[in-house]
Amino acid sequence: MSFQKCLEILVCYLPSFLLGIRTTLLVAFSGTLFGLLIGLIVGGIRAIRPDRTASRGKRRMKKILDILLRIYIEVFRGTPMMVQAVFIYYLVYSNIVRWDKMTAAIFVISINTGAYMAEIVRSGIQAIDKGQNEAARSLGMSSFQTMESVILPQAIRNAFPAIGNELIVNIKDSSVLMIISITELMFQSNSIAGTTYRFTETYFVTAMIYLFLTGTSSIVLGWIERKMNHTRTSIPQSDTTFSSISLASKGGEDS
Amino acid sequence: MSMIEIRNVRKGFGALNVLDDISFTVEKGETVCLIGASGSGKSTLLRCINLLEEVDGGTIRVLDQDLSELTDVNAYRRRVGMVFQQFNLFENRNVLENCTVAQRKVLKRDRKEAEEIALIQLEKVGMAGFRNAYPSTLSGGQKQRVAIARALCMDPEILLFDEPTSALDPEMVGEVLNVIRELSNEDMTMVIVTHEMNFARDVADRIVFMDRGIILEEGSPKQIFDHPKNERTAQFLSRVLDRDI
Repeated sequence: MSFQKCLEILVCYLPSFLLGIRTTLLVAFSGTLFGLLIGLIVGGIRAIRPDRTASRGKRRMKKILDILLRIYIEVFRGTPMMVQAVFIYYLVYSNIVRWDKMTAAIFVISINTGAYMAEIVRSGIQAIDKGQNEAARSLGMSSFQTMESVILPQAIRNAFPAIGNELIVNIKDSSVLMIISITELMFQSNSIAGTTYRFTETYFVTAMIYLFLTGTSSIVLGWIERKMNHTRTSIPQSDTTFSSISLASKGGEDS
Repeated sequence: MSMIEIRNVRKGFGALNVLDDISFTVEKGETVCLIGASGSGKSTLLRCINLLEEVDGGTIRVLDQDLSELTDVNAYRRRVGMVFQQFNLFENRNVLENCTVAQRKVLKRDRKEAEEIALIQLEKVGMAGFRNAYPSTLSGGQKQRVAIARALCMDPEILLFDEPTSALDPEMVGEVLNVIRELSNEDMTMVIVTHEMNFARDVADRIVFMDRGIILEEGSPKQIFDHPKNERTAQFLSRVLDRDI
């Protein structure tokens, strides 16, 4: 393998690579975004416990919903995305509507990511102290209002590294979507390799491009994370620092 | 009309009877302190009044409504404020937002009105200067004062305090108790679960002593602290008061 050749391939086929990069990023970003949306809804529903005052019908509905969502999560986490892609693409194509491949790709990666996101969101919600929920409810907020304005923002912030990780995974794993021949980076690379017969060099370039995309994303995600955590950087608190001194003066404090 | 009327309330967690045939009432403007050893059911009783727990038997009537027949729990809860041992400030919101979020979502006040009310209440507890601070940067005493302001913003008719100073370092206790004392002087109806005996004696119109899920004794602070009728009350008081000195 020669780096000279790699560079030549990159320059020569730059438009093809760029098209691939564009498609890969489009699929990965929209998949992560829609996946997050699905995850918020599914994970949110899974984390809600019906009020003790809820009617029996409501409780039963929640139970059935829980089972359905559980099945969704298990199925999409338990089968390869490549298989999901071909199966769903042809299932819809030959039975429902002749949809275009790009739509199919974004659809598949979204529901696939949604299954993972649902679990990330759910565990994020469950990690929030239950006092937050009690405080919101004691002020008269409904369970939905509590979820939307108190619990979810905190859960998302806590889960942000895991959510960002899904983006990185999607940039790489969208490569399996070449199976339904969308022009993402892997598909383009195959074409280029097929034309040049320089397999090693072509795929080396491909790997470098993927690494560049994920590396850049990592840096951006890290930056966002630091921005988000800005509000909770705590300064040392006096109540821990001086507790031993203050014990001595307790007698005069509350009498 | 009694603000709170509790009749024969029972509650158990599994085999454990936490509340066993509890009855007492709170009148308008009254400050009632619930005292007693840990595990005597004080906090559970308070949480039942705010429907954070449900009773197994008996009735609780608050503001002339039977809690078991409530159709809108949220509408009820906003009339009864609660202050928690662990403060429970919303960690993702600053002090001002902590005080405005429920006003805007529940009472549908606009931002300007909500912020004005919040600042009045924050001023009252001496925390207006921290309006932009996040909870994680505040001390325990400051957090609890914000939590009290947050509850007051909803114009509650009753305030419930669940051991408001138990999670505080001793030097912070005074500032929080002073705020509560002030509210008591303004004739806010309050039920306070506390271990601060001197405070209870000072601020309460009535003291209720609980032990193992039952009310052993209730009466004026003078009566309870100086002439307890029940032997267990006397024992408990001498134990905690000794420690205070």
